[in-house]
Amino acid sequence: MVVYETETTPRPAALRPLVESTWRFRVLVGVLLAIVGWALYAYSVQLTIGLGSTGMNAPAYWGIYIVNFVYLIGLSAGGVIVASLAYVFNLKEYKPVARIAELLAIMCLILAMIFITLDVGRPERLINILLFGNPLSPLVWDFIVIFVYLAICLIYGFLGTRSDIVAAMKAIPKRARLYRALALWYTDVSPGALKKDERTLRWVAMAALPTAVALHSVTAWILGLMKAQPGWHTALLAPLFVASAIISGLALVVVTTVAARRFLHVQIEDALITKLGRYLVWLIPIDVYFAFSEIITIQYGREPAQFSTLQDVVLGPLAWAFWTEMIVGLLIPFLLIVRPKDRTPRRVGIAAFLIFVGVFFKRIDIVIPSLIFRWLPFPAGGYTPTWVELSIMAGVYAFGILFIAIFAKLFPLVPLEAEPDVEKEAAHAETVPAGT
Amino acid sequence: MTRWGMAIDLDKCTACQACVVACRIENNVPMAGEEEVQKERAIYWNQFFSELRGRYPELRLTMFPRPCMHCEDPPCVPVCPVDATYKDAEGRVLVRYDKCIGCRYCMVACPYGARYFNWFTPQYPEGDENPLNPDTVRDSEGWLVGPSPRPRGVVEKCTLCIQRIERAKQKGLPIGSEKTGGVVSACAQTCPAFAISFGDLEDPTSDVYRLSRDKRAFRLLEDLGTRPQVYYLSEG
Repeated sequence: MVVYETETTPRPAALRPLVESTWRFRVLVGVLLAIVGWALYAYSVQLTIGLGSTGMNAPAYWGIYIVNFVYLIGLSAGGVIVASLAYVFNLKEYKPVARIAELLAIMCLILAMIFITLDVGRPERLINILLFGNPLSPLVWDFIVIFVYLAICLIYGFLGTRSDIVAAMKAIPKRARLYRALALWYTDVSPGALKKDERTLRWVAMAALPTAVALHSVTAWILGLMKAQPGWHTALLAPLFVASAIISGLALVVVTTVAARRFLHVQIEDALITKLGRYLVWLIPIDVYFAFSEIITIQYGREPAQFSTLQDVVLGPLAWAFWTEMIVGLLIPFLLIVRPKDRTPRRVGIAAFLIFVGVFFKRIDIVIPSLIFRWLPFPAGGYTPTWVELSIMAGVYAFGILFIAIFAKLFPLVPLEAEPDVEKEAAHAETVPAGT
Repeated sequence: MTRWGMAIDLDKCTACQACVVACRIENNVPMAGEEEVQKERAIYWNQFFSELRGRYPELRLTMFPRPCMHCEDPPCVPVCPVDATYKDAEGRVLVRYDKCIGCRYCMVACPYGARYFNWFTPQYPEGDENPLNPDTVRDSEGWLVGPSPRPRGVVEKCTLCIQRIERAKQKGLPIGSEKTGGVVSACAQTCPAFAISFGDLEDPTSDVYRLSRDKRAFRLLEDLGTRPQVYYLSEG
């Protein structure tokens, strides 16, 4: 199949957000910049005082930074799994969201790298990982797989966007030089060149899929290989991480797609969102199944260390995170979209948002309670993040949204060719409920 | 082959905690201050535990000091991303303070909680005289492993008083509790009840060799398979 059959003339609708900015957009950018500025101040405090300015302590050696790291790695892996499935299986209908998924994957990966940098006590020595990397350390495995994955995402993103960059170059003459540079001066959009791109893209997509699974598995093994941490030391951890990566990544793609339709007037048809909603419904029981399998194993065996951690998760001071995940993050979204006729873009969007937020609580649940467990009779530990950590965290996410906003100003969020045409809309008309 | 280790006789221990104090002074262990101690940011290379077990009136109080276990199979060593922590040729688990990136992965991996992080720039009590131990020990590659003050943002832990042992080797002094005038770790030297023995676990004539084979001997969390080089002799 050849997507780029002819050289297209850009449609005004798709390229309009590139040149026009509403006042709302400007206000949004201003607010985001202010949050980033505040976070930079907070980070300067952390650098001056040390990690003592955070809420971390013994035994909560890791805190909200690592929670976010694990969460974002999952979102990133999930995004790419969604994006590459569209290419590997040549599911043409998903290609409109593939670029958004890819973009989110790159953003989440960059944010994850920022979080891990924030967490170390001596960030200036991170170069030691390159100089003296220990091949036995799961952190080094993660370091390698993150960079391989980033490279794949960038190649993938570049090849998938290139023809649109060239289209934008032709449509917006005053930015022609910028676009030429963004296309890396590779502006050949002849059918032959595009066909070559397409072929490379499919190979890259095939490599992306196992790399995404590896990325999240290795991240799980950073935790799961630690025999000192009974809450993590289970063979189920990596599969569980991959499952929740897919569901949270897909949820993020849905949320962004719905938001892009609503606020940026990007054209994506309802039927596609309905379909993505169906996948979310399938994925929720898988997540619950893993959680149940884990809980029943520990509950039945009552091995003291694991049982104590489980009790902390379900009934301890952080139990609110577990129950929020179970009820707000899984049960409510499931009920919202379980019936096919309920899967309107609005409902799917809300359900996806709840899932996406819920998985964050699951990450808190995985990281913190296990750390708090101690084998020796230490005083009971606890962890509450400080304003420094929360400000920095807000700043990192503000930076992420800015990244997406800048991208939306530079490139069309949906591939130009993939916009719905009349014929396709008619074909999907019967699956789309009335009034959406 | 040398493999340094300790044996702590809990029958002899009076729980006076002099070992904890001696360790702090010998090894420049920084002060955390009252507030940070409550936030669990204090550093103790040798930490003292007391545990009350059972129900009234059948109570049993156990107390014991816990230095680093210097495990034969240390879970903290393989996880270090930059090879900053390692097991040296004489069986000590050490940290290269000027190489550590402060990721705290080794702390997460240690079941004994024997590793501590410098959450702040190290603080020491002020006085007329410099209270710091000036000793500096570097490994064969030149990395700092001895007690000279550590920078902020790195992990630190018990070194089995490497500065004492290395100096004794240079000066040709005897090392081990069983020898007359034998150099030992600060905790072992200070213990008023002679509860702590220090020496070479590979030397059949040493105290620690004999005590490690005593029928009262046990090691902490033996089920985890870390094989500590610090032995305890159970009470009663």
